Amino acid sequence: MTTAPSQTEPQAQGDILFDIRGVGRYFGSGDIQVKALDDINLTIARGEFTAIVGPSGSGKSTLLQLMGGLDAPSVGDVHLNNKSIAHMSGRELSDFRRDHIGFIFQAYNLIPVLSAQENIEYIMLLQGVPAAQRRQRVQAMLNTVGLEGYADRRPAQLSGGQQQRVAVARAMVSRPSIILADEPTANLDSVTGSALLDMMKGLNESRSMTFVFSTHDPKIMERASRLIHLQDGRVVEDERRG
Amino acid sequence: MLFKLAFRNVMRQRRRSLLTLLSMGGGYLLLCLSLSLSEGSYNNIIDLFTRDHTGHIQIHVAGYLDRPALHKRMQQVDDWLPPMLLRYHIKAAAPRLYSPALAYGEDKSAPASVIGIDPGREARTTLLAKKVQQGVWLPNQVNEAGYWPAMLGFAMAQTLKLSVGDELVLISQGADGSIANDIFQVSAIVGTEDSSERMNVYLPLTAMRDFISLPQGIHELALLVERPADARDAAQRIQEHLAHRVPQQPLAVKPWQEVEQGFYNGMQADKQGTYISMGIIMFIVSIGVLNTVLMSTLERTREFGVLKAIGTRPGLLFRLIQLEAMLLAVLGCVLGVVLALPVNAYFVHHGIQLSQGFDMGGIRFDRLLGEFSWFTMGVPALVVMGSTLLVSVFPAWRVARITPINALQAV
Repeated sequence: MTTAPSQTEPQAQGDILFDIRGVGRYFGSGDIQVKALDDINLTIARGEFTAIVGPSGSGKSTLLQLMGGLDAPSVGDVHLNNKSIAHMSGRELSDFRRDHIGFIFQAYNLIPVLSAQENIEYIMLLQGVPAAQRRQRVQAMLNTVGLEGYADRRPAQLSGGQQQRVAVARAMVSRPSIILADEPTANLDSVTGSALLDMMKGLNESRSMTFVFSTHDPKIMERASRLIHLQDGRVVEDERRG
Repeated sequence: MLFKLAFRNVMRQRRRSLLTLLSMGGGYLLLCLSLSLSEGSYNNIIDLFTRDHTGHIQIHVAGYLDRPALHKRMQQVDDWLPPMLLRYHIKAAAPRLYSPALAYGEDKSAPASVIGIDPGREARTTLLAKKVQQGVWLPNQVNEAGYWPAMLGFAMAQTLKLSVGDELVLISQGADGSIANDIFQVSAIVGTEDSSERMNVYLPLTAMRDFISLPQGIHELALLVERPADARDAAQRIQEHLAHRVPQQPLAVKPWQEVEQGFYNGMQADKQGTYISMGIIMFIVSIGVLNTVLMSTLERTREFGVLKAIGTRPGLLFRLIQLEAMLLAVLGCVLGVVLALPVNAYFVHHGIQLSQGFDMGGIRFDRLLGEFSWFTMGVPALVVMGSTLLVSVFPAWRVARITPINALQAV
């Protein structure tokens, strides 16, 4: 099903996780102002497996960054669970990201001095999860991403695919409301990338985890239940699949 | 986890961390040694100076030091002194009587400061007995010829051209207004031509009482306490005690710092110079530490972006950077202690022999000595850690304030 640009189909209020209202992100000012995003209106429902697609410079990553509270919109507002994040303080944003957002980066971005297990455990420490529970959840997550025997390895001792699995585990272990993945397969070979996507799709289906990808990768587009097409900072197509 | 993260980050650039540790350890070593030599030498100077004559505390009738006079005497000392010595753990006490006099040798005369001392108590309180150059320490009795002994300062003996065994004539005014004059026999010559007692004449206290017709009372009591550093507090307590115990006599109890104020102030000014050089050492070390911490945070900007992106609060990142800096400081201090211990031990036991000694308050010093104490070992550690904490504030603040989106885009 395809909707008109910048118009999302109304959802039941209880299902809506993200509500993006009139968001724009502008860089520079006056004649040299660049509109990375302009007048974005979107809702993301719980349990979606959404891909934001578009050519380079279309604003995919910027949109993801605004949703994740890494950047603030120039105009408009972003709501998560009906709570605005546009005007949060630095500390509030940290807590917001810690408790609600799981990030998966193109370059994995694991902490190099921590082992796989410690990388996964770190965010739970920030959340104040008790030690016994942390160990249990780390082990379960390592099993989920198929890295049972790699707990003590540091990122430099893991392949790209394995690092990205650790990154997925790190993003999921805090039980966030949504996982935002920015080109997660861009640095992986096609087999590893497909396996990783299958794993994430499986988690989406089995645990109703919400994923939003920014991607060029056809493999992600094939698996996505919704495709949001961006061009020049604007939503040009919002395509839902059965 | 924060500690683990900090420790691993410190160990990450081992060569740079090692250089920083060497710089911190070197800074600690320099601070420790300069403090050790400074404190050791000053304590040695204080010890020699106070043991030379002054003692740690002196008691007089109020106003005596400002305007000495024969009649300004402390009375009934035997009543209040013994219990006071016990109560305040006084190691030794030396009573003294002073009088100006004209001293005559065979064909020379000179003005002299005549001091009546109790030879036994004086020897336990000051180093005067050890300064005897010729003859024997002042006997407390008349000799076979019926003369009381007298001890001369070196310059006085030279001026009067007197040697041990010669006769000395002293003329002064007695406390009763009479002319005081007597003949004494030189029993010893003390000190050198530069030392503080060079123009003094020492008599046994009994002989002094006879000479100036003063059957009782003393002008001065010099006390030794356990630690010279406690002199001020002890003087204060003794002052309060005596005000209560001997209310009929206005007594002034003063620590050596007040009795010898000029000497003390000169020493304090000299100490300030030492502290300024220590400050310069720490400034140089701090610049090195700032460079290390700043470099290590700049090259990890992207990582801090990740840590922030996954929910690390700014305050925690601030503490992480400070912890890393403090780890370096603690390790630097451990290294510094390892380096400083043997060198300091050498200075404590052997010191540094000066090719040319120096004179301070009439006392000659020719060796710089070190001191091993919590102060000389602990203060450098506190200074290194404190300055490290201080210089790490800016890099830590920068990391805490960094926006994740900018940090993640850093190369």
